[in-house]
Amino acid sequence: MPNLGTSIRIVTALAAAAALAAAGAGAASATPAKQLTTLNGAGSSLIAPALAVWGPAYTKAAGVEVNYSSVGSGAGIAAITAKTVDFGASDAPLTPDQASACGDCVQIPWALSATVPTYNIPGLHSGQLKLDGPTLAKIFLGRITNWDDPAVKKLNAGVRLPNLKITTVHRSDGSGDTYAFTDYLSHVSSQWASQVGTATSVSWPGGVGGAKNPGVAAVIASTPGAIGYISVAYVIQNHLDWARMKNSAGNFVLASAPDIEAAAQSVKTVPAGNKMSIVDPPKNAKFKNAWPLSTFTYVIVHTVTPQAQALRKFIFWALTPKAQRLINNSFLVFAPIPTVVLSAAERTLNKVHA
Amino acid sequence: MASIDTTSESARRPFEGRRVHLGDVVLQGVAGAAAAGATALVLLIAWKVVDGARPSISKFGISFVWHDVWNPVVGREAYGAASFLFGTAITSFVALLLAAPLAIGIALFLTELAPRVLRGPVTSLVETLAAIPSVVVGLWGILVLGPALRSHVEPWLHSALGWIPLFGPPSSAGASIFTAIVVLTIMILPIVSSISRELFLGVPAELKEGALALGTTRWEMVRGVVFPYARGGIAAALILGLGRAMGEAIAVTQVIGGGTTISWNLFNQGDTLASKIAAEYQGATSNLDVASLIYLGLILLVLSLGANIAAQWIVRGVARRHGVTRGGRA
Repeated sequence: MPNLGTSIRIVTALAAAAALAAAGAGAASATPAKQLTTLNGAGSSLIAPALAVWGPAYTKAAGVEVNYSSVGSGAGIAAITAKTVDFGASDAPLTPDQASACGDCVQIPWALSATVPTYNIPGLHSGQLKLDGPTLAKIFLGRITNWDDPAVKKLNAGVRLPNLKITTVHRSDGSGDTYAFTDYLSHVSSQWASQVGTATSVSWPGGVGGAKNPGVAAVIASTPGAIGYISVAYVIQNHLDWARMKNSAGNFVLASAPDIEAAAQSVKTVPAGNKMSIVDPPKNAKFKNAWPLSTFTYVIVHTVTPQAQALRKFIFWALTPKAQRLINNSFLVFAPIPTVVLSAAERTLNKVHA
Repeated sequence: MASIDTTSESARRPFEGRRVHLGDVVLQGVAGAAAAGATALVLLIAWKVVDGARPSISKFGISFVWHDVWNPVVGREAYGAASFLFGTAITSFVALLLAAPLAIGIALFLTELAPRVLRGPVTSLVETLAAIPSVVVGLWGILVLGPALRSHVEPWLHSALGWIPLFGPPSSAGASIFTAIVVLTIMILPIVSSISRELFLGVPAELKEGALALGTTRWEMVRGVVFPYARGGIAAALILGLGRAMGEAIAVTQVIGGGTTISWNLFNQGDTLASKIAAEYQGATSNLDVASLIYLGLILLVLSLGANIAAQWIVRGVARRHGVTRGGRA
């Protein structure tokens, strides 16, 4: 009897093994059909949270895997120049030097975001501090050094500003946020434009440097009286306090997605290289709430690339309203790209071939 | 089969006879190749650094070293190393000044004074300090140490020693040259103390016992026997620590605050050669920016080479004076 039991068990085991083998064979035969194409990208940390959403969504929709490493805009440009990735991402448009080094690279605007002034003033909550461009420039030039300065008080009637030294905080690494911020200050302050200028990394008149968004946030958090600038998505995710800015229409606005979208509506035509600046957009009756520190962020690809087909498909997909909606919610705040920019982006994308 | 037998007959014996010789050849080859590889690597790095810095060298020449300007904005680019050289010098020397007595004290305690049960655990704890990744030390510096120094230590130093320009008005942020100095002190402490400990252990027991037998106190024994015996090694250990402090990039980048001017006030923000390279290299805006950052690297390379040569020179000098001894291990 025990013999019979054993043999039954052996038969069952054999059957199970056979079933497993069959299943295995089935899986093996199915694998080639599911073989994933992989796209590798690197660059901007501002766009990284968007790619963290786009990546899995696109894998599900198209069966293509998208890997992205958030190494900073400058490093992303270096990587695509050296062709170690399939696409680079940068918040600042390519400089002439970078463009010539990259060869047949094109830059395509694929998302719209913003940088926001973030502060640490004891007793003042988020949105309570109001600033305008010239005052912000004077603060970062070191010409306004205390929070109870008359210029700041004038903008903040009814708010009790402390007698506290201002500490300005900036990015110590090259960054698209720095580009947008200095671009804005150059637009609103002639002294800033002549003394400092616009770049991903500048010679700061003073203040404290922090590495990347978290570094700047840490310095601000530990320094009463500090003011700096940080990507809007990072600010929202980490519940930092940020300032209302006065735009050219004279309104004090917060950087909500509609405010950022309104700023992008100032683009009427897109220049040949897709390089656009939408900081301090001109007064427009239709878009009164434009956020003055908005910026396009770009994907950079080689015109001739073996991955052309997959890249084109992916970037086209990223530009669809559906993909743009995925990254526009209470956590991410990437505003949808305006139509005129979208068609320019698609025109550029069509040039990419194998 | 037959062929195998014939080979074993004809070939095994000469092979056996040659085996020692072959081992020597292999050893010679492998060790020689490793040494040649390391030398070639250093030369290759030096060559690449000079080559990469060439655009900046040809544009600014040697005056790059003493120009105090760093402006990467395209169209008004100007670069100079002075403020970073100053930052590297002040952070590494002051850190060494703080670390030296502490490290030697720790080493003395562990070899001469501590109860035997404490020696093992304390030694491994001090050496664990060296195993903490510098990015973690930097993070601790930015979140804990910096704010604590700013709120408690800096105001106290300023009120007590404010007449010395080094202790000017405290910074409002936790990031400052001073924070970087303290972080560097912590980072070089385990290196200097563990080398010093080894040196003190190498002092022959007969010498120490002899001194004690002559009626010296413990301090007189340390001063008269241990220190002179280990002097050269300690100097070399300090220079190794200095090299470590000069080259440390990440932790310094996190806590020094990226100031661009030369300031004697330790509580202001600054930058060092290594921290500037670490902060800016990835996001460099132009070819000249990259070349100038590599030029900073070249200066750093020359400084570390100088420190290494100085260390070897000191060790050799001491060895000549004392004769080669067991203490000459470092």
